[in-house]
Amino acid sequence: MPESAVEVSENPLARMLRELAVPVVSVMLALGIGSLVMLVAGYDPLAAFAAMFKGAFGGGRQIGETLLRATPLMFTGLAVAYGFRAGLFNIGAEGQLFLGGLSAAWLGLVLAGLPQPFNIIMMLVAGAAIGAAWAFVPALLKAKVGAHEVITTMMFTYIGKYIVSWLVTGPLRAPGQIPQTVQLPAESTLPRMHEVFGFLAVSRVHFGFVVAVVLALFIWWVLKYTTLGYESRAVGYNPWASETGGISVSATTIKALCISGALAGLAGVTEVMGVHHRLFDQFSAGFGFTGIAVALLAKNNPIGVIVAAILFGALSAGSGTMQLEAEVPAKVIFIIQALIIFLVAAEQLARWIIGRTRRVRVEHAG
Amino acid sequence: MLADIISPDLFASAIRMATPIALAAIGGTICERAGVVNIALEGMMLFGAFMGVIGAMFTGSAWIGVLTAVVAGAALALVHAFASITLRTDQVVSGTAINILALGLTGFLMEVIFGHPGTTDPVTRLGPVFDFSGPQEGMFATAWRWFDVAVMSYTPLVYVAILLAIASHWALFNTRWGLRLRALGEHPRAADTVGINVIRGRYSAVIASGALAGMAGANLTLEQTGSFTEGMTNARGFIALAANIFGRWTPGGSYGASLLFGFADALQIKMQLLREIIKVPSQFFLMIPYVLTVVVLAGVVGRAVAPAAIGKPYEKG
Amino acid sequence: MASPLLEVRGLTKRFPGVLACDRVSLSLSPGEIVALLGENGAGKSTLVNMVYGLLTPDEGSIHVDGSEVHIRSPRHAIELGIGMVHQHFMLLNPFTVTENIVLGNEPTRAGVIDFKAARDSVRELSRRYGLTIDPDSVVRDLPVGLQQRAEILKALHRKARVLILDEPTAVLTPQEVRELFVVVRSLVADGLSVVFITHKLEEVMSVADRVVVMRDGAVVGETRTLETDTAGLARMMVGRDVVFRVEKHPSKCGETVLDVRDLTVLDERKLEAVKGVSFQVCAGEIVAVAGVSGNGQAELAEAITGLRKVASGTIALKGHDITHGTAREAIEAGVSHVPEDRHRRGLVLEFDLMENMILGDHRSAPYSKRGVIDHAAVRDMSTKRIAAYDVRTPSERVRASALSGGNQQKVVLARELGRDPELLVAAQPTRGLDVGAIEFVHSQILAERDRGKAVLLISLELEEVQTLADRILLMFEGRIVKEYLAGEASDEELGYHMTGGGGGKLAMEPGEAVGADA
Repeated sequence: MPESAVEVSENPLARMLRELAVPVVSVMLALGIGSLVMLVAGYDPLAAFAAMFKGAFGGGRQIGETLLRATPLMFTGLAVAYGFRAGLFNIGAEGQLFLGGLSAAWLGLVLAGLPQPFNIIMMLVAGAAIGAAWAFVPALLKAKVGAHEVITTMMFTYIGKYIVSWLVTGPLRAPGQIPQTVQLPAESTLPRMHEVFGFLAVSRVHFGFVVAVVLALFIWWVLKYTTLGYESRAVGYNPWASETGGISVSATTIKALCISGALAGLAGVTEVMGVHHRLFDQFSAGFGFTGIAVALLAKNNPIGVIVAAILFGALSAGSGTMQLEAEVPAKVIFIIQALIIFLVAAEQLARWIIGRTRRVRVEHAG
Repeated sequence: MLADIISPDLFASAIRMATPIALAAIGGTICERAGVVNIALEGMMLFGAFMGVIGAMFTGSAWIGVLTAVVAGAALALVHAFASITLRTDQVVSGTAINILALGLTGFLMEVIFGHPGTTDPVTRLGPVFDFSGPQEGMFATAWRWFDVAVMSYTPLVYVAILLAIASHWALFNTRWGLRLRALGEHPRAADTVGINVIRGRYSAVIASGALAGMAGANLTLEQTGSFTEGMTNARGFIALAANIFGRWTPGGSYGASLLFGFADALQIKMQLLREIIKVPSQFFLMIPYVLTVVVLAGVVGRAVAPAAIGKPYEKG
Repeated sequence: MASPLLEVRGLTKRFPGVLACDRVSLSLSPGEIVALLGENGAGKSTLVNMVYGLLTPDEGSIHVDGSEVHIRSPRHAIELGIGMVHQHFMLLNPFTVTENIVLGNEPTRAGVIDFKAARDSVRELSRRYGLTIDPDSVVRDLPVGLQQRAEILKALHRKARVLILDEPTAVLTPQEVRELFVVVRSLVADGLSVVFITHKLEEVMSVADRVVVMRDGAVVGETRTLETDTAGLARMMVGRDVVFRVEKHPSKCGETVLDVRDLTVLDERKLEAVKGVSFQVCAGEIVAVAGVSGNGQAELAEAITGLRKVASGTIALKGHDITHGTAREAIEAGVSHVPEDRHRRGLVLEFDLMENMILGDHRSAPYSKRGVIDHAAVRDMSTKRIAAYDVRTPSERVRASALSGGNQQKVVLARELGRDPELLVAAQPTRGLDVGAIEFVHSQILAERDRGKAVLLISLELEEVQTLADRILLMFEGRIVKEYLAGEASDEELGYHMTGGGGGKLAMEPGEAVGADA
């Protein structure tokens, strides 16, 4: 079932290319404007992008790093995308992922005795559950009182950050100078990909990447083929018609925001279980917010999220090298991110650049 | 102990803490009354805060800094206006993009100009407006102290916020500007058909909200702390949105609601004193304003009615 | 001969895929009432929107007082003396009448609004044209007739010389229509000219001096009302002889399907919209609830279809209590709903036709099993229904937004009737549709009833009610005030009860003739 095409006589490949045009042009434009910003600030954009590319794709280890950084973005991107499809803006993915990470940091210790993979599965489930729980109050308030989820989930992000901060500096603190939790035992961590698949180059990317891709495919399937997905999309487009069709808007809203929260929670879980193996005070580099850019770039399509997340992962992986070699502050990728959001959202601008798209209205008849 | 908490200092502190929220909230009121959602108050405030420091640093004048902050906020608002009004982008998405942009810009410029992340060097601040010395002893001493602290001890932008709240509230309901602004958010097509320029009206409302948010940022750096720290707004822009809702989209209400949040902020600081007695970790006090926001929204939103045409882009014909 | 007050020559306007106005020319002299007659979609609104500056013509010219003008905006049109009262009012609900009237033209002293002067000017205009209204009342609280009055005053406040009324009687009772005509005649006596857009033939004959008939964007005829009659107008409008009444067999009433007792329903503001209403609908019967919008019909329909909570009373479907059920439960009990607003309530415009077809059935077999949707079954059903209902579309994969109004309504009907309901609740089912689509919808509703199903029709179109209903219930201020069998009552009598019996200054006794047509 097509999401945007009115034309049906054109073949699917042409349609897909047209769908891709806007995001591709938006990214190129964003990179272009980013270059201008760098030029004005006195940096060499060509050197910057060359360094970035090297850092992101220069070798097996670099590609692994890109995929590593893409992994949490896939989860948060899915979280935000799913929310958007249901008409909800989950800006609080950041807070939900904090709590997910927290649960992993704690459960990983508590469940250490259990055999693999049970403890891993339990940790993943628990992280998703706690992410969902953290989205529940905002979901309830939205459904019952109409409180805007942007404000409530943002508040919960700060509340979540403070809770985690307290636990990490207090009850769950590991002995030592740095405020962080106790390191997880190896059984409670996600293995690195090259440990599972021997033919891969050595890098930091972990099994969470596979989980993320599988989950993206699953969410795609849910949206397209299940009644849950149908109801979420119906409510996202038109809650009144959905009501007429017997759909409970409040139940669907709550479910959708909680699912979104669960996905974000998994971002935190896999980050802790796969990368750091512990929780420290500032472990998230804004994955929740980057997830918004990922979702928008992917036009809220779960498969697109995979690609968009890898792109942003590349930006992130390359930014370190860019800072080191071209001496451009890594923060510039935030600017590029914001530009991408703008340009994708302002579809008209991109379309004008591509050229007028054909939109034929079906002739009045009957 | 109690006397330390319930004192004119608490009241004054509440007013001071409320000021940036109030300025942004009033900006939000104006913008939303015209029918445009402004999620980007946070980003405009942050950018204003940063540019205020830059302005003050390069000219040595805190007032120029304030001006720079206002212009910076307005500039970001112009981008939001262009995206939301002319390109008809989803306003919440556009606002979020601005927030991310502001984070990125301030961080980037911080490195470029100061060479390091974190906090900038301190700059000259705006001092209190009044500086009278009253009776130190005798019957009137306490009364004077209360009055001095509670009314006369503030920096200029604090007074600006109060005056602005009063003036804009009255203007919204009694002037031609106010009537037309409210029409834009209620039924822009009706306004259009009687000859009001909807696009221009909305643009000015959005830019005004950016200017006020920028001013709020100036209050943070040039009146409160004296320097800029990355991310220092700490979601105040979002709390300002809640204050506007709680205040039922009126400037006076926005100020009052901001005062509530300011009070929570002030109380939170004071309560740190109580930590000697109640062993509660500081994070729980820091959480108070955010929890309060959620409580407020839970209690009020269903009954507060937003302008009818809010969030919907206007298309001619 | 003085130059015409307003003249358009060769005015043309194109939208993607549609020629909305095709070289239209007409002229308007001072002191005359011209009716612009045509079906929905004929181009009347597009034409006047160009004259009022809301749209720019692609070709052609507009002349005021003999000189050509390029009307760029409503403000410009107002300056030229052209005023317009739109079909959907341009009023700001939370504002007072005065604020609405002076908006854009406020009396001020240094930017501060002089409310006293504003109020006085409103009262003055009110008095001069006999349009009584309380300047301080809030628009939201006013009945529709008074809101329209405020709209007219708004145009007069700006010294309009031409007043365009776009379908002004759509929301009025017959008495209010008569009052409006009196006002229009007094405005014309004062020197104004009025352009009156309508699709109702009797109104044209009652009030207009001249009538211009439009069809498919072009002017197809023009005549003085004295020289023609409704049949002649109808022929011009549709291009063929029109049969006014559809063939209808007498009803065969079976078991009671819908039993509503003492039903009380609250509206958004917690006021009683439906006050203790009781009635039944039996199988094989069409019961019409007729009334002016805003008298509780919408809330009644929503209560029966599970979209609104019931405060007290009961609703039973074939003996099964559905009073407090949800919309889902109503659907499962056998209630289908064709909602009033097909864009908001009826369809998800962004979904394609297949996904719209299963709305409401998406959880049941055979379209879904255990939470998974069977796309093949859905496509199969959709293609069959699209063919059966003659929905004009290239395929079932097209977005609902791409269809015309008539075809969209067919999709809604196909879906709701396809469920084979026990009770069909149809609210304003032919609003905004052209004659062909209206005929189709009517025939479907009659077919349902002939198959032995129950139909509850909610409508404010008296002609529709008279055509379709076996029984007519008149609803006023939340109560059923009168019941008639089919053919028992004239439009006049219906209108009389729709206003609670004698509402309005110039209410006439039932049976008295109206204007030139009886």
